[in-house]
Amino acid sequence: MATLTISDKERFLINQEGQDFSHEAKTFIKIRELALKNLKDLDFPTNKLEDWKYTNLRGISKIEFRPQSAINIIAAKVKAHKIPNLDAYTLVFVNGFFSAEFSDTAEEKDGNFVVTNLNTAKKKFIKFVEPYLGFQTRAKDQFFVNLNAAFSQDGAFVYVKAHQKLDKPVHIINLVDGDLVAAYPRNLIIADKLAEAQVVVSYETIDTASALSNVINEVFVAEGAHVQMDKIQNENGNTYHIGADYAVQHKDSTFTINTIPANGKLIRNNLSILLDGTGCTANLNGAICLNGDIHVDNQTYVDHAQPNCDSNELYKAVVNDQAASIFNGKIYVNKIAQQTNAFQSNANILMSDDAKANSKPQLEIYADDVKCSHGCTIGQFDDEALFYLRTRGIKESTAKKVLLEAFIGEVLDNIKIEAVRDYASALIAKNFNSKN
Amino acid sequence: MLKINGLKAEINGKEILKGLNLEVKPGEVHAIMGPNGSGKSTLASVLAGREEYEVTGGDVDFEGEDLLDLSPEQRAGEGLFLAFQYPVEIPGVSNINFIKTAVNEVREYRGLPNLETKEFMKLLKEKQQLVELSGKLANRSVNEGFSGGEKKRNEIFQMAMLNPKLGILDETDSGLDIDALRIVANGVNELKTKDNAFVVVTHYQRLLDYIVPDFVHVLYDGRIVKTGTKELALELEEKGYDWIIDEFKETV
Repeated sequence: MATLTISDKERFLINQEGQDFSHEAKTFIKIRELALKNLKDLDFPTNKLEDWKYTNLRGISKIEFRPQSAINIIAAKVKAHKIPNLDAYTLVFVNGFFSAEFSDTAEEKDGNFVVTNLNTAKKKFIKFVEPYLGFQTRAKDQFFVNLNAAFSQDGAFVYVKAHQKLDKPVHIINLVDGDLVAAYPRNLIIADKLAEAQVVVSYETIDTASALSNVINEVFVAEGAHVQMDKIQNENGNTYHIGADYAVQHKDSTFTINTIPANGKLIRNNLSILLDGTGCTANLNGAICLNGDIHVDNQTYVDHAQPNCDSNELYKAVVNDQAASIFNGKIYVNKIAQQTNAFQSNANILMSDDAKANSKPQLEIYADDVKCSHGCTIGQFDDEALFYLRTRGIKESTAKKVLLEAFIGEVLDNIKIEAVRDYASALIAKNFNSKN
Repeated sequence: MLKINGLKAEINGKEILKGLNLEVKPGEVHAIMGPNGSGKSTLASVLAGREEYEVTGGDVDFEGEDLLDLSPEQRAGEGLFLAFQYPVEIPGVSNINFIKTAVNEVREYRGLPNLETKEFMKLLKEKQQLVELSGKLANRSVNEGFSGGEKKRNEIFQMAMLNPKLGILDETDSGLDIDALRIVANGVNELKTKDNAFVVVTHYQRLLDYIVPDFVHVLYDGRIVKTGTKELALELEEKGYDWIIDEFKETV
C-alpha cells in the first residue's frame, strides 16, 4: 500500500479552508479560484530565492495558523489602538474581519467618496471594485500574494470620486486577537482623476501567542490625483507580518507611502509602484527603528514605465540588540522612460555588535537620458557627535536620543498628519533603547 | 582652579602625555604652545573627557573635584568647556535646539531651573552679537555647511552661553583670517572675569596679540618644558622651538 504523504504547504492550505465565500459575486470568486490554482504550484519561499536570501521563514509553514473570527472584543481594547488626536474615518478589522461596531463608514450622498469595508463594496459598489481588485496582484509567482487573494476575509474600501477630496483621513486599524490566528486583510484604495486621499493603515495586536498577518494594500492613483499613505506596523513580538503594497500611478499623479515597521517578530514588506503615466511623482519612505530580535525586510520596486517621472526613496534604519534590517530597493527604468529622476537612499546605524543590516540597491536602466542615484551606508553610531554634545553638558542618554531623533526625523517629516507623526515618533523613540 | 599633577595619558598603547604639570588660577589666561605632536590637543581632549585616551598616571583637580572621575557632561556641568579644533557637524539637530538643550542640562546639573523662553532668547541674542554670529545660523543644523570661521565663532558662542569657569580653546585660531580671529579673540576677552580662566592651545603667536596670556607654556614630548610670560611667545615666533628642545635635552 502506498503511503500518502502531505507536504507542510498542503497542510497549511487545508488549515486555511472552511471559510464560505459562496455569497460573493462570480467575478470575485474567480479571483480566489485563480489564486488557489497558483498556490498549487507555489510553496513557502526559501532562502534559495534571491529575494528571500536574508529572510528565513523556516518553521512558519509548520505552525497551525487558521482564520479565526474574534469574539467578545472589548471596546477599551480596540480604543487603545486608536491614534490619539487623529480625526479620521476609522475602520476596524479584527483578524481580518470587519468590525462594524467600532467603525464609522461614510458614503457621501452624492457619491463623492466611499469609505467602507470591501465586502460591502463588493455588493454595493461592484462597478468600482471589479476593475481594480486584484488587478495589480496577479503575480503568479508570489506565494503570499496568492495566499491573501485566496483567503482574504475583508478589508477597507476607499474610493474618492474625480475632483473630490476626502474631508479627513481614513484610519484603517487591523487588530489581531487570539492564538494561531491567520489574518488576511486586504485594502483597496482608489483615487479617481484629480482626487485626494490620506490613508493611515496600522497593524496592531490585542493579544496573541502567535499569529500571521498576511496583508495587501492596493492603491490606484488616477491622473492628477494625490494619495498619501502611512503604514504603521506595531504588532507584538509573536506576530509574523508578510505584507505587499501595490500602487499604480497615472499621469501627473503623486503617491507617497511612509512605512514604519516598529514591532513584531518578523516583518516583510514588498512595496511595488508602477509609474504608468508621464509626470508622476512617487515618494517612498521608511523609518525603521528596531530592538530585541525582530527581523524586518523591506523590498521596494519602482517601475518607471513612462517618461518624466520622479521617484524619491529614503529608508533609514536604527538597529539595536540582535535585530536585523534588510533593504532591497530596485529601480527599473524602461527604455522609453526618458527624463526619469530616480533617487534612492538607504542609511543604517548599527547600535550593537549583534545588530544586522543588509542593503542592496538595484538599478536597471534602459533609457539614456535619466538621472538616477542611489546610496547606502551602514555605520556605527556617530561617537564624535555624541562626545561633542556631551562636552556641552548634555547627558549621554539625552544626547543619544537627540542624535537618533535627528537621523530618523528626516524620514518622519514626510508624515503630513501631525497626530500620526507623533504616534510614529513615540513608537520609534521606545525602540531607541536596548531591550536586553 | 585647575591643578594637573604628573598627568600621563596614552592612545592605542602610545604614550602622549608623559607627566604633565600645570596650575591655573582664577583670572588667568594660559597659553600652551609647542611643535606638532607634542601633545597639545591630547591635553585638551583628556581634560574634556574623550574616551579614546587612557589616563595612566597623575591626577587633575578641578575646583576640588577629581576631574578624571567625571563624565564629559559632568565636567561641563562643573564649569569646564572645550572649544573644539574641529567642531562636529550634526545634521538634523538645529543649532538653537542644541544650545537650548545644553543650557538647560547644565542648569539642571547646577541645580538651577530651566530658562524661560523669553530669557533664553534674550541671552541667545546677546551672545550671538558677541561673536557676530548671524541669527540665520540658529535654525541651521549644528555646524552643517558653516564656514571655518562660522564654526569657530559658534564654539565661542556656545562657550558664552554656557558660561564656564574654565574655557579651553584648542587651536581655535587655526585656519582663521584676521577678521575672524579678532572676533573670536574679542569674544573671549569680553567673557574674561577675575573668577574664570582660559587655557589657549595654539600653534601661532598671532592669537596672543589679541588674547594676552599671563603665562606661556611650551609643551614638548608630553611635558611642559618651559614656562614664561607673553614675551616667550614672541621669542618662539622668532626663533622656533629648537633652542628650547635643546635646552630641555641638556637638562635631561
